[in-house]
Amino acid sequence: MIIELKKFGQTLTSREEGREAFAAFKPTLNIISDRESVEIVFTDVNTLSPSWADEFLTPLFKQFGKRLILKETDNLSVSTTLSTLEKVHQIKFVRN
Amino acid sequence: MNKEFSIKEAAILLDISIQTLRRWDKSGRFIAQRKKIGKVSRYYYRENDIEDLLATNFPSLLKVAKKWALDSAPPELPRRFYCPDSSIFKARLSGFEYNLSQDPKLAKIFPLIVAVTGEIGNNSFDHNLGNWPDVPGIFFGYNLNQKEVILADRGQGFLKTLQRVRPSLSDYSEALKVAFTEFLSGRSPEKRGNGLKYVREVVLNYHFKLFLQSGDAFLNLSKRNKTIKINTAQNFIQGSYTLISY
Repeated sequence: MIIELKKFGQTLTSREEGREAFAAFKPTLNIISDRESVEIVFTDVNTLSPSWADEFLTPLFKQFGKRLILKETDNLSVSTTLSTLEKVHQIKFVRN
Repeated sequence: MNKEFSIKEAAILLDISIQTLRRWDKSGRFIAQRKKIGKVSRYYYRENDIEDLLATNFPSLLKVAKKWALDSAPPELPRRFYCPDSSIFKARLSGFEYNLSQDPKLAKIFPLIVAVTGEIGNNSFDHNLGNWPDVPGIFFGYNLNQKEVILADRGQGFLKTLQRVRPSLSDYSEALKVAFTEFLSGRSPEKRGNGLKYVREVVLNYHFKLFLQSGDAFLNLSKRNKTIKINTAQNFIQGSYTLISY
């Protein structure tokens, strides 16, 4: 499954909205099979902050682990956010 | 509706004397409106004229923000700089993002400016929701030419917020240090507390500067000032006051 974050907005900064985005998307996750990967695409997202990402990407990582694949991007707010979350939770996201 | 400020209210808000305002009016620097009540002509200022002045005059904007954060009886802010709730902050943050994105020189770093501003502004709402001691919401202003952003709140401040998860914290200095160096959340048991570490990372790696005060403690952070050194201020801010330069 491919999740395009731009469908949640271009400015993804608050915890409240990150939590809301995850809650709204959760039913869609139920159709993912056991072997399927989940790809996150950051194209056309202007700003991503750790607060939003912690409410959306962290639970996805907990559920899918290495099957969660984050597509590479040159957006600095995305790359810095991902490395912050990796430090906070002592995890390593799969990037491609 | 466009609110009207009397000359006294405008002087209090801008933290200048009535005489200065009269002088500015005379010289054309900041022209007052006039209203005739009977035979007397009264000066007043339209809210959007005050907002325009603050949008272009950064020292005045700084003064207003600091006064609002410091005073025991804060003046009512012009609406362009006041976000009473997080939805208004979100809308204005999007506007700020759009303005920044129009500057080709900021093409690479504007998402970081927005993310840092968003983290600090949203922190104020997240940590004070339902617990604002007096005025809810935040001050949010910026000047694109000066490349500066100001955020302030009249919330509970770093010490009270962090004491919820670390009761042993005894002063603002300690609280500020913990906020910028340890992964600890003021909203325990939720797993939070990474926002300010992110802010620190961005400031140090991308030539930003950050001034932040809460209570009587403040810190200055920049590439040249990498160590978290907390200083004692002469004044006291019950919530927080932040200046970001990019």
